[in-house]
Amino acid sequence: MHLLLVGISHRTAPVDVRERVDFSARGLEHALRALAARGTAHEAVVVSTCNRAELYAVCDDVASTRDDLTAFISEFHGVDRTALAPHVYGVTDVDAARHLFRVAAGLDSLVVGEPQILGQVKEAHTAATQARTSGPLLNRLFHSSFAVGKRVRTETGLGSGAVSVAYAAVALARKIFGTLQGRTVAVLGAGEIGKLTATHMKAQGVKHVTIVSRTMAHAVRTAEAIGGAAAAPWDDMDVVLSTSDILIAATGAAAPILTKAHLEAVMRPRWNRPLFIIDIALPRDVEAAAGEIEQVFLYNIDDLQATVRENLARRESEVVRAETIVGEELDRFGAWFRSRGVIPTVVALRQRFEQVRKSELDRLEYKLSGLPPEARAKVDEITHLMFEKLLLAPTEQLKALGDSETAAVYTEALARLFGLADAQAAKDAEPCRREAAENKVASDNKVEQFSRGRTRAPRA
Amino acid sequence: MNAVPLAIYAVALVAYAWHFARRHPGAGRAATTFLVSAALAHTFVIGVQTMEAGQVPIADATSAISTFVWLLALAYLYTEITTDERAMGVFILPLLVALQAIPAVVGVDPRRTALLRGPLFGIHVSSLLFAYASFALACVIGITYVLLFKEIKAKHLGFFYTRLPSLETLDRMNQRAIVIGWICLTIGLIVGAVFAVETKASSPSAGVSQGMSLLDPKIIVALVCWVVYSFELFAARRIGWGGRRAAYLSAVGFGIVLLNFTGVSYFLTQSHKF
Repeated sequence: MHLLLVGISHRTAPVDVRERVDFSARGLEHALRALAARGTAHEAVVVSTCNRAELYAVCDDVASTRDDLTAFISEFHGVDRTALAPHVYGVTDVDAARHLFRVAAGLDSLVVGEPQILGQVKEAHTAATQARTSGPLLNRLFHSSFAVGKRVRTETGLGSGAVSVAYAAVALARKIFGTLQGRTVAVLGAGEIGKLTATHMKAQGVKHVTIVSRTMAHAVRTAEAIGGAAAAPWDDMDVVLSTSDILIAATGAAAPILTKAHLEAVMRPRWNRPLFIIDIALPRDVEAAAGEIEQVFLYNIDDLQATVRENLARRESEVVRAETIVGEELDRFGAWFRSRGVIPTVVALRQRFEQVRKSELDRLEYKLSGLPPEARAKVDEITHLMFEKLLLAPTEQLKALGDSETAAVYTEALARLFGLADAQAAKDAEPCRREAAENKVASDNKVEQFSRGRTRAPRA
Repeated sequence: MNAVPLAIYAVALVAYAWHFARRHPGAGRAATTFLVSAALAHTFVIGVQTMEAGQVPIADATSAISTFVWLLALAYLYTEITTDERAMGVFILPLLVALQAIPAVVGVDPRRTALLRGPLFGIHVSSLLFAYASFALACVIGITYVLLFKEIKAKHLGFFYTRLPSLETLDRMNQRAIVIGWICLTIGLIVGAVFAVETKASSPSAGVSQGMSLLDPKIIVALVCWVVYSFELFAARRIGWGGRRAAYLSAVGFGIVLLNFTGVSYFLTQSHKF
């Protein structure tokens, strides 16, 4: 039983290919049902965002399933398979888990640390759960990936800091004013950039937006385009500024409109209430020296871009810590995943021992028949515990094996030494049967603990 | 006995520093837990001293420092819980540890003279201690305001930018702490003046009352404090001295408070030696 990932992402495919294989456009559940109908995978989850389309599957034969999943992507979206094939990657087992963990952590995103991806991975798993295509292995895998995403978000700064100019401006405004709710914004200039920035601010909850332009008709038109904004004539600029918290300067003027002396005069009746100026005009609208005024926070487009670069650099410096978290969680998942590979052998070994025990008790039936029922039950219990103790060390050793090659060697050796003919059959069993086997091992573990407790009790 | 809360305050300081540096939520929860434990241990210590002396231990300078630390810890915990903001802890805890070291090393004297048992003395000292705790909080909040202000002004958004609340929030917290502190300081000074007059009238020859005059260093410095904080409140409301200037004034004001609370109390005052 293998874990297989087949997909494309921004790392392997250009946008014109990615936009043609967007599973979310037609609904994830529809895609999952279509995939389940092919019958090649025991379990499946589809992760689909604007930057990736990935199928996570549990299968027996990696090569054939990989071909079938590639064919599925091609057929489902009506994309020529030969055009798609060069962009498709396939990863198996622990490497597939590592990939998903990195995706959930935001390490594989176009903008490292972007926060939406964890929610999208959760949505993908929820859709698979609703479509009943996710089983024990993928459930465990995805829940582990959620833990990775959460740890990376809380324990590192990978997702901190705005990484676009517009968000950097909003983040700065929040750091000065606390909240943008109820704040007032003045926009100098009725151009497109000022309109877009003001619209973004309005979406963040600012109360009033006033457009000030040399041409009143332009100001009115821009205010109407933003919706709920006011327009003011150029001569009222100082009045508007005296009541504003944020100023977006975006005119096409050839020389600075607001000098330091002008802004000092504006600040006086404001009782030094903070004024955050975002000067996105080129050439600049606000004299650089105006930033020296006590409560004036002046940022031009270069400053905001530098902030974005600093944030990106800070995120990059957090990558190592995030990768460490991925490694830790991967070790945990890998140990569990590898222990699944030896479960059929463990089950077969236990069945073999139980078979021997039962047959020996049957053979000695004529000697035991004279014993009272309590004594016979005691014999049954003692032999059972004896075999459990004998199996304890081999079971733990098998489950702790580090790599699948070693596990295969041990499995083969045990099969030969103890004649475990059923091991292979158990390995090929249905997922539900496998789950039952896991439950058996879990309950056996409880017996192991119980028997260990009984062994240690006299020492205490 | 004061060493026990001191040790827990020190552990809490390490946890707050760890939380501030790494922003690990577990470290933050641990820091708050340690501080709550320290405050509880300190409450127990003060409770025992109250039972021994018959009143809250505030009469001698060392006891007053211990009680001040306890009040400051409670005031900070209240601020942390109401604002859900732990960033200030790393600035407050060093003050708590440094001041609590004084009663832990020097030891407190539970004896009280009959003169200091009246309600006026209790109101006078407890009002002033609460005022000083508020001013300490205002000072720390002011320092963090300046650190964040400088980062934003310098357009270098780094360490403090990612860890501290907004300038507006810090300014509001600072002003609130100053208002509460100023009210308590005013009450404490007025009640202290009434107490001094009554003491002089009832026991003119007592040692305590002899030094009670406006020329005593402790009283002069306390009045200077009142003038500084009154000016800060006036300036913030009337001449737009909020933000960084208010933060600087908070630091200056608390510097004077600390001077009065330690140096003047131990070495200079004649009227406040009990």
